[in-house]
Amino acid sequence: MADDRFQAIVEEIYEKFKIYGVTRKEIESRLKLLLYEFKVPEEEAKKTIINGLRKNYNIAKSDLKPPLTKISEIEPNKWVSLKAKVIQLWEPNSPAIAQTGLIGDETGTARFVVWAKANKKRLEEGKCYLFERVVIDEFMGLKSVKVTSASEVKEINENIEVKEEKAEVEVVGALIAIQQNSGLLQSCKICGRVVKAGVCIEHGKVETNDILRTRCVLDDGERIYDLILNEDNIKALTGIGLKEARKLAEEHLDRGIVLLEIKKKLLGRYLRVQGELRFRSLTANKVEFYRPKILEEVEKVLREAEA
Amino acid sequence: MIRSAKREVAKRLFSKEFNSSKYKVGGEGEKEAVYVLTPLGLRCNRVFIVGVLLEKEEVKPDSDMWRIRITDPMGSFLGFVSKFQPEALDSLADINPPEIVSVTAKAKLLERNDRSLPLLRPENINVSDFETRDYWVLETAKATLKRIKALEMGEDKIVLEKYNPNLEDFRKAVIDVLMKLREEQTVIEDESEEEEDKDLGFELDEEIIDLSDFEIGD
Repeated sequence: MADDRFQAIVEEIYEKFKIYGVTRKEIESRLKLLLYEFKVPEEEAKKTIINGLRKNYNIAKSDLKPPLTKISEIEPNKWVSLKAKVIQLWEPNSPAIAQTGLIGDETGTARFVVWAKANKKRLEEGKCYLFERVVIDEFMGLKSVKVTSASEVKEINENIEVKEEKAEVEVVGALIAIQQNSGLLQSCKICGRVVKAGVCIEHGKVETNDILRTRCVLDDGERIYDLILNEDNIKALTGIGLKEARKLAEEHLDRGIVLLEIKKKLLGRYLRVQGELRFRSLTANKVEFYRPKILEEVEKVLREAEA
Repeated sequence: MIRSAKREVAKRLFSKEFNSSKYKVGGEGEKEAVYVLTPLGLRCNRVFIVGVLLEKEEVKPDSDMWRIRITDPMGSFLGFVSKFQPEALDSLADINPPEIVSVTAKAKLLERNDRSLPLLRPENINVSDFETRDYWVLETAKATLKRIKALEMGEDKIVLEKYNPNLEDFRKAVIDVLMKLREEQTVIEDESEEEEDKDLGFELDEEIIDLSDFEIGD
């Protein structure tokens, strides 16, 4: 038997039992004995060692779980266990999927899918879980964690700091809401935080800078993005820059008018945004009103529908 | 950094699908949202619609409760706006029908005496334009066809049991809408240099909704 094959078997068994304090040496000597002295077939030797170790360490069959793995180390087709935080839940696009979204740990993030057939308790955003016996697969180059009926998911009482990952994306969606703290705002000259009536929660009565910013929700019917538009983005879309905003506010003696004008021009419009996605927050580098080639698209959809 | 509150996605659907809805799902436990279950298996709590506001009418004088009707190419959505939707109420005051509007709304199902009435509670209403409306129709057609396909695979047993929907009927309605849109778009491309007033492109037929069984209120 080739040496690397021998080592592979040792490694496989070691992965299963390392959390119980089993050493590689122990496995090696047993494997040598069975394979080389008693000439036992490979699979039988493996099974015997695993059963023996389970008995020695008093481990129930159901407790023999795949090793705890970090997200950066998961590989397709492997069964693993993970401790991770649910960062985001997305809209499942098939009834076969109970939940889908993004989980993360201190090494990275991965998509996950809980099959409807797995019949699991629903996961909540922001909570941390121990995912046991989950299988990894790869879909369009992205690794994804599948929770099946064989898996176990338990909420854990520890907070996992998720490594922040940024991604460059392009999103088309409808701007369906504009949130508080948008429009022509005042920020504290010392800390930059938005202040109300000239009073900063940290620094009290302060001098302020005018800033123009909009926090809104972009929605493509399946997913939601918290979109932040800065002064340049707002000017590009509405023609209202900081100068125009100040003028509007002075004319009407009301800062609120700026937000109203922005709402009139943006609410309910489709935008194409190129930007940086951090979890759900989308910071726009380039943003424009989406002008699709409707006729082309209609013909494409009709061809598919009639096929 | 990460907000744990989950915001509901705004679903795209035509009035035909919405108005055929008879059942709710969810709402078990205090926190769980209530969804209108449509015959094509959509669970909607929030919707996004671009259509023509055809009517706005105060339910009773000085009640500040407005009944609105918004059409899409398949029919119309019924909606109510009151002081509980201050943003929508504000903007509605400045909009006079007929006008193209975009609406983000909560989907509700009123239930009385074995009857159910699907209606909208708009969160915001804004004047829109023809281009946005056309893209919404396209997007909604795509989403609807996707749902029909999923049901044909037999994946959603609850919907098939409760509604046993006529999928061919829905598919035909979507294809009709798309063919009409194609026709209009061809005209628009031909006339693009002249910049003439565009035809509305669909019939604004009257439809009377009998509300006598329902007490409309919050």
